[in-house]
Amino acid sequence: MKRRDFLKIAATSLSAAVLLPATVRSMALTKSPVETNRLRPPGSVPEEIFAGKCIRCGRCVEVCPYRSIYLLDIRAGIFAGTPLISAEETPCYLCMKCVEVCPTGTLLKIPQNETRMGIAVVNKHICHTWQSLIICRTCFDVCPYKETAITLNQLRPIVLEYSCVGCGICTHACPVTAEDGKKAINIEPIYAWERVQW
Amino acid sequence: MVKKKWGIHQTRFLVLCCAFLLILINPFLNYYFQINTIQGWYQSFGVGKLWFVSPLEGLESILVSKQFFLPALIAMILPICLAVLLGSVYCSWLCPISFFSEIIDGLKKRLSGSKWITDKILLSRRILWFTLIAEVVLTMILGAPLFVFLSPPGLVGREIMTAVFFHTLAIEGVIIIVVVLGLNLLTRRFFCRYFCPLGATLNIIGAKRNLLLVQDVSICTSCTLCDQVCPLGLTPSQGMAESIYCWNCGECTAVCQPKAIVFQWGKGEEGG
Repeated sequence: MKRRDFLKIAATSLSAAVLLPATVRSMALTKSPVETNRLRPPGSVPEEIFAGKCIRCGRCVEVCPYRSIYLLDIRAGIFAGTPLISAEETPCYLCMKCVEVCPTGTLLKIPQNETRMGIAVVNKHICHTWQSLIICRTCFDVCPYKETAITLNQLRPIVLEYSCVGCGICTHACPVTAEDGKKAINIEPIYAWERVQW
Repeated sequence: MVKKKWGIHQTRFLVLCCAFLLILINPFLNYYFQINTIQGWYQSFGVGKLWFVSPLEGLESILVSKQFFLPALIAMILPICLAVLLGSVYCSWLCPISFFSEIIDGLKKRLSGSKWITDKILLSRRILWFTLIAEVVLTMILGAPLFVFLSPPGLVGREIMTAVFFHTLAIEGVIIIVVVLGLNLLTRRFFCRYFCPLGATLNIIGAKRNLLLVQDVSICTSCTLCDQVCPLGLTPSQGMAESIYCWNCGECTAVCQPKAIVFQWGKGEEGG
């Protein structure tokens, strides 16, 4: 009986070990939560090492005066406990307090205008101004880097990607919401996918 | 009655209470009053510009990202110094899990009416080292530190903060904390004894600690009261208080009638 028990346990644990990678993959436990309008706080290191560097101390969340930053839970897999910003709900107002308190260098100290949380991209198919429905210039009006990061060309908003900090204030303010919950101007966190230089 | 007297047990519980109150009150100060002077919990704790980073979490961060970040290294100095000098006193005097465990022990004693608690499951203490090694190796394979988001003491702080800031609780924290504390019902400090990687790290750092519980064999009456009172189930009567596993809680000094076990700075006659 004892041997049978042992074999049973061995078989179970072996199959569990074999199935685990598949389960992990299917549950996307290693998939980064960063996507359109889901941004890391300012000064973040690339996603490649973000989960590794961040020790989930939550100090960026505690210090954020706008409550823009929230913590992920175990549904984000190995990214549980890391900070995230939902641009359309509460964008980052670039107070740069979080970069001051990060103890591990996951958020690096950078000047406000060198923040690159992403790039604002206008969806010209649903933007009312680009569709010539109305003349709306909300994104231009709220942008903290007016004329440098966003300009109006014949009254239509154009993002200047080299200066856009990706704070998401325009996304938050945009009055047009598509069926998938996205706005007519969204933040694409392209800098999160940069490779780490050693 | 010895029980009613103020002793090291009461002092330690008071320190544990204060340490817990600190991380309990902090989120409220941060959230409702925007007082950011004191921040975080025992994964990283900040008092103004003075930062602390838990040694294991800091080590994991370095191992996985393969980068050094000077402020993090400096923030690790004080906790490491504390462990080098005093051993793993963090575990017995500050850790919020220890705080809850003390309360559970107290309740258990009160409910059973007995002065002693018997441990039901005993494993080999070496498991602690295997846990630490396995945790570090797994962390490096996965490329994601595990202890940083699954550590019970860290999760206590995170749950308090999540509750205050977002009026919700994270499911993993609730499960882990309940399981870890539930295991206390079988064996006192079951998780701390056998499975806590942070405890193992602090034990290693404090292997050559200065603060030791030294037994005077000439006075010892071999009553083994110290063996029964030790929350880690060590046997101080056989000199195990000087071993790497002891976390310097000092419970044995309080219970020892002839005062055969006392705190001592340095090895004494051996160190010379």
